[in-house]
Formats: sequence, C-alpha cells, structure tokens
Amino acid sequence: MSATATITMSALPSKSTIKLAPAQSHAEASSSQAQNQPPKSQKQMTKTERREQQERQRAAKAATKAAGPQPSGSNQNSAQVKKGAPPAASTSASVKKGGKGPDGKPTKDTKETTSDDSARGLRIFSHFGLPKPPGPSKGDIHPAIIRLGLQFSEFKIVGANARCISTLTAFKTVIQDYVTPPNNTLSRHLLTHLSPQITHLVSARPMSVTMGNAIRELKLEISGSDIDLPEQDAKNLLCQKIDDYISERITIADQVIQETAGTKIKDGDVILTYARSSVVEQVLVGAWDDGKQFSVVVVDSRPMLEGKKLLSVLSAMGIPCTYLLLPSIGSVITEVSTVLVGAHSLHSNGAVFSRAGTALVAMMAKQHSVPVVVCCETYKFAETIQLDSFTKNELAPAGDIFSSFPLTRSKDTLTLNKQLNLEILNPLYDLTPPSSITAVVTEVGVIPPSSISSIPLALGRTTL
Amino acid sequence: MPDLATTDANTSASAFPVVSFDICETYVSFLKNEELSPPLAAILALSKLIETSDAGTMLELVKALNEGAGALKASTSNPISLNAGCELFIAFVTLLPHDSASFSDLKLELVRQGQKYAAEALTYRDKIASLALGFIKDDSVILTHSYSRVVMKTLLRAHERKRISVYVTEARPRGLGLRTYEELTAAGIPCTVVLDSAVSYVMDKVDFVLVGSEAVVESGGLINAVGSNQIAIIAQAANIPFYALAESYKFHRLFPLSQYDLPTHTSNILSFPLSSGGNVTSPPTAGGIKSLHEKSTNAGCIRQMTPEQIACNPGVDYTRPDLITLVFSDVGSLTPEGVSQYVVGMFAG
Repeated sequence: MSATATITMSALPSKSTIKLAPAQSHAEASSSQAQNQPPKSQKQMTKTERREQQERQRAAKAATKAAGPQPSGSNQNSAQVKKGAPPAASTSASVKKGGKGPDGKPTKDTKETTSDDSARGLRIFSHFGLPKPPGPSKGDIHPAIIRLGLQFSEFKIVGANARCISTLTAFKTVIQDYVTPPNNTLSRHLLTHLSPQITHLVSARPMSVTMGNAIRELKLEISGSDIDLPEQDAKNLLCQKIDDYISERITIADQVIQETAGTKIKDGDVILTYARSSVVEQVLVGAWDDGKQFSVVVVDSRPMLEGKKLLSVLSAMGIPCTYLLLPSIGSVITEVSTVLVGAHSLHSNGAVFSRAGTALVAMMAKQHSVPVVVCCETYKFAETIQLDSFTKNELAPAGDIFSSFPLTRSKDTLTLNKQLNLEILNPLYDLTPPSSITAVVTEVGVIPPSSISSIPLALGRTTL
Repeated sequence: MPDLATTDANTSASAFPVVSFDICETYVSFLKNEELSPPLAAILALSKLIETSDAGTMLELVKALNEGAGALKASTSNPISLNAGCELFIAFVTLLPHDSASFSDLKLELVRQGQKYAAEALTYRDKIASLALGFIKDDSVILTHSYSRVVMKTLLRAHERKRISVYVTEARPRGLGLRTYEELTAAGIPCTVVLDSAVSYVMDKVDFVLVGSEAVVESGGLINAVGSNQIAIIAQAANIPFYALAESYKFHRLFPLSQYDLPTHTSNILSFPLSSGGNVTSPPTAGGIKSLHEKSTNAGCIRQMTPEQIACNPGVDYTRPDLITLVFSDVGSLTPEGVSQYVVGMFAG
C-alpha cells in the first residue's frame, strides 16, 4: 500500500475515513449534525455532498491522466463507494475501468467493442440466445444434476436417447435422496423440488423433446402418487416407474425397431447413414449378427464428426464401411440402396427433426429414388408442428469442443474464432420435410410420414 | 357339418404333415369357388384348421395357425393377398376377448366367426360397387386393367343406370383383360381391348381409371397385376383420377420401400441371362434363346415370348400412394393416408 503514501493533501481526510469506514454504519446520522462545519470529514458529509466531492475528484483525475495516482485514486473511490449511494458505485466502477492507466486505456476500448459485439450478436438465430457455460447454481441443486449439466454443456453426452436416459437416471438419484419436509406431501412438494433441477439442466443445454416427454410423464406419475404410501415406498415406486419407462419406451422399443428395420436390409444392400444414431447403430449391428451381408456408407459432418464413433463400432464388427463428409454425398448416392437415419423428434405433420445435415441427405436420396427410412421410437413424438429449421433450434457453442483425435497443432489454430466481422453459426438440428421421407419405423409398426399423427391412436391413447 | 365329417375321416388330425397338407388342399378347394378371393379362402382354410386342430391352449392354437399360414404362403409364388387374409384372421383370433367357458367352445366360436366373416365378406363387393357408383358420371369412359371381380361388379352395376364405355388393357402375359372384354360385351357394355403399351395413347380419352387390387399396403399403396403402376403414373401425368377398389380384408401390414422390396420379387426376375456356355443360374434362359431362334425362322409374323422369358418378369407391382386418388373400400372411400391410418389402427389396437 505504498501508493497510498503519495496521496495528495486533499485526499488525506478520506484516508483516515477509510480506516474508520467499517466501523461506521450510518454516516448520514452524524453528518446531518455537522453540516455547516468546513472542512467536513467524509463521515460528516451528506450523500449529495459526498457525490459532489467524488465528481470533482473524478474530473480532476480525468484531467490529469497519469500512471501514478490513478490506481490509488480508484482504491479510494471504491472504498468510498462501499458506504456510498448506488449511483456512486456505477461511476466508480467506470472510473476503475478507465483508471487502469495506459494499459487500461486499450483495455477499455476492447471492452467496449466486445460489449458491442455481444449486443449485436447473431442477427439471424438470435432468438435462440447464445450458448453459455452453466452459471453458478442457484438454490439447492443435487450434485448428480450438476454433474449432468456439466456433461451436457460440454457435449460429453449427446444424442436424444442418451440424454433422456441419463436425465432419468439422475432424477432417480434425486428422488431417492429427497426427504419430504414436514407438513408436506411427496406428490406435491417433489414437483417443486424438481423444478430448479430441471431449470439447471435447461440452462446447461436446451432440453430435448425426449427429455421433455419423459419429464412430463415423470411429473404425471409424481402427482398421481398415493398420499398414503410411506415415503420410501413411494420413492421406490417412482424409481420403478422410471425404470419401466426407460425399458418399455426406449430399450424394448429399440429392439422391436431393430427387428422391423432389419427386415428391410437384404444381402448385397448398400446402406447409407448420417452422423450417429443409437437406433441405427443397433439396427445395423443386429442385421449383421443375423448374417446379412451388406455394406455401409457413413456420412459425417463438422463440427461434431459423430460418424467417427459409428464407424469405429461398425468396422470393429467387420462390416465393410465407407466414410465420407457431407459435401461428397452426391458422388455415392447412386450406389446406395437404402438410407437409414435416426431422429431427435418426430412432429405431427410428419416432419423429422434431426441432426443438421439429415435433411440434405434425405432430399438427395429422394431425388435419386432411394428410399429414406427413419428409425424412431414413439416417445420422440412431439405434438407440435414444425415447418422449418429455424423457429426452434439450438446453436453449438463456439470453438472446437468436439474433436477428440490427437492434433499436431493446438485446437485453437484449427478452429474459426469470432472476429470483428465474423460470427460463427452452428445450428445443431434441421428439419426434414415429410415429402422426403419414405417410411418411419417405430415400435408400433412401419408408418408413412403422412400418418404420423395416428401414432397416439395406435398406442391406444389420446395424448402421448 | 356332414361334409366336414367326411374330410375329417380322411385325415389323421394328430400328425403334423397331414394337417399342413390338409390346409393347402382345403385352400385350393375353397378357391374353386369363383366368388372367393385368396384372402377369404385363406380365412376359411384357417377356420377349418381350428376345427380339426387338437390344440388345448390358445398358445398352441396360434402356433398351429401360424404354421398353417406359413404352409399356405410357401405353396404359392404370390402369397401377398392370402397373407393379408391370414394375418387378419390370426390377429382376430388373438384379440378376441375370451368369454367362452371351455377351450373347445372358444374354438367353435372362432370357427363360427370365421365362416360368418367370410359370408359377410362376399357382400363387400356390392357395398363397394354402390360406393363407387357416385363417382361414375353418365357417359364416362373408364380405363381398367386386367380382370377384377370387384371392378366387374361395379361396372355392371353402373351399366344398369348409366351409359359407360370401357377400355381394358390386355394385361399380358396372362391375358386376363380379354376375359373382362368378354364379360362386359356379353352384358352390353361397349368395350375395347388396348395394348399394354398403348395406355398413354388412350389416356387422354379416359375420364378416370378404375382398378381392383390384390392388396392394399400400409403405406397406402396398391399391389396389383403388373402394369397398374404404369397406368397410375400415366394417369397422374395426364391429371386423370386413379381409383382403386379393395375390400377391407385385403389391407395388409406390408410396407414395400420400392418395387424390389416385395415378397414376390425373386432374384430370377429381371435377371440377365448368362452366356449359354456353362452357367449356374439359368439353363432355361439359354434354352429360351434357342427356341426364339427357332420360332423366328418358323412363323415370321408374330413373335411370342417364351415361358422362360415370361418367368423373368414380375406378376405384380407396387403403386405408390401419391399416385392413387382414392381407395374405395367397404369401410368407406379412403385417401391413401386414410388407408394407412386405418391399417395402423386395425393391427395395433
């Protein structure tokens, strides 16, 4: 604190007040008595007088912009601010920013430009909001949820099925650790307990349709749980219901889809698939295990390059595979017999919401009369109608967080970064119109896209 | 009942091979009835199977039915329509609420229901005829394909009150279009046979196209004698409505992704003959080439395809749902999308 020793004479009274500041809680009381005594000490000044003094000091500082006294000046101001009024806080904050000296000056400029940048943001897709890392958790978030949120935001868990299963598994832990507070029932309070957890997950990464449907079912089960059941029994019952949901609508559904779609694969076929769908992977592996001889073309795209994982799984089984990136699909499409893709969600008008690039693959296939088969469980059905890819979508975060292969140069040199006139836009999903799809294979059967809305009917319920 | 007893006397019900033999024979004997189409004959054959079966539980019965259906399918090269009937009946058997006292009562009930359904199904063609009547205007020129009993009924019904004239395709190789021609002319309806290759030539003179069906599939598409797809494509290009007539027992859970995804598509169809010296797959085709040479030196005027060449051609084809305007059925007039919703509802419930 040697800088403070060089304080000018006018600031001396304030130095003494700094030491006294913590001890003083209500300076205004004493200052009202000593209004007419010059020179006033800080504690004796009214708010307006203190503000005036700060303004004068700030003007003085601005006039003499030199390296030395400025850091100390900012220290003074920040100390004053602690007992000052809120408007003083904002002025000293701006002074602090400006008071960083010559090195502070350029800092101030770049800060201004970056704040302008984020204010401008992405002109299109600005309605999605920018992807941000999960902030400090507010409220009582269970550690399993915090871990899950982190995994979501870093894209360690991707895929509609994987996210749903991990969410439900985490919620099982939350439910088991939950204790009903006194004078409350589990069926009502658990819902309010789960809400901040769900909000935390949504802030990490926007919720997928599968998670939404599963959570809606879970809330239905919770609100319908019997009040008279002892707490542990009720919790066990809920966990059992969650297990049943996962088993019935995901695991077993996938097996049925695997068998049904497997019948569409014949010896000598060339199957084309895009990125990585867990269901399509199961279908291909199952068909190969059944002894069918076929080959696979894996089409992939940046930035996620998910197809590499699928490629490693398939080639480890011995399936002849070809790997290419999306722009070269035109050169192989004439050799393909069927296109198999997965889905993030299925909409009432028959449109399929899936990884960005799927629509291109489907349209190209349709153009060449190659049947496009979408493998999708019924729990991915969304009652909404979606007509285009940009009313509802998600942006991937900037920077390259997806590549896992070893690099000779650092990742930063290979990725595009935001510059003054360059915004990076990475939507994660796109919409395939129903006209490009030949059939949708679900666990209730093979359905043409025009009849997707009959799925709830087939399941025997009015809503899903 | 007495005729059943005589057939029972001929079979020893316990031995499995005799039962499956029985079902194919029964099926063929039912088919002899002109009115019965393959799905109905299959349903009746399966009901007969239930009668003669000694299954004691539902599981055994369904298993026996599936085996019988499998045997029927294996006995013919075009199993699609009889498959529709089998699936419908087996779904009905499994979904029927069991309120009978004993299992033998249940079996009798199933048999009775099966025969009742078959009897009722014979009235479906009249229902469809009355439904389609509303779409046939006076002085219509209709194009139809091959021979279909339900189309015949509709045309004869229409002729009672309106003036219609009919173009019918020859429908090679079986030439069933000629049978249509004979029956229509006998009824007094002006009819002309057109070559299969002249359909686009005649399309602009036609008011609408009316075809029967072997099966209507889950996508809303149509499986019918080969040539229907061509007619549908030409009709769409000329903006002519394409109507299909199908009884509800022809609705099938099949979903072909393309022409070659049909169960009737074998590796033999559209195969190229290998060179006549030493080949594995097609000695008959090699013989076919020889006989063609013979024929061309002999007759000179009209050439015919040899049976081997005809064997390389499909018997049925698949018409996509977007080419079909409406499907007339005993459950009503449905759009192709409506058909798939109906089929999903029927089999998933």
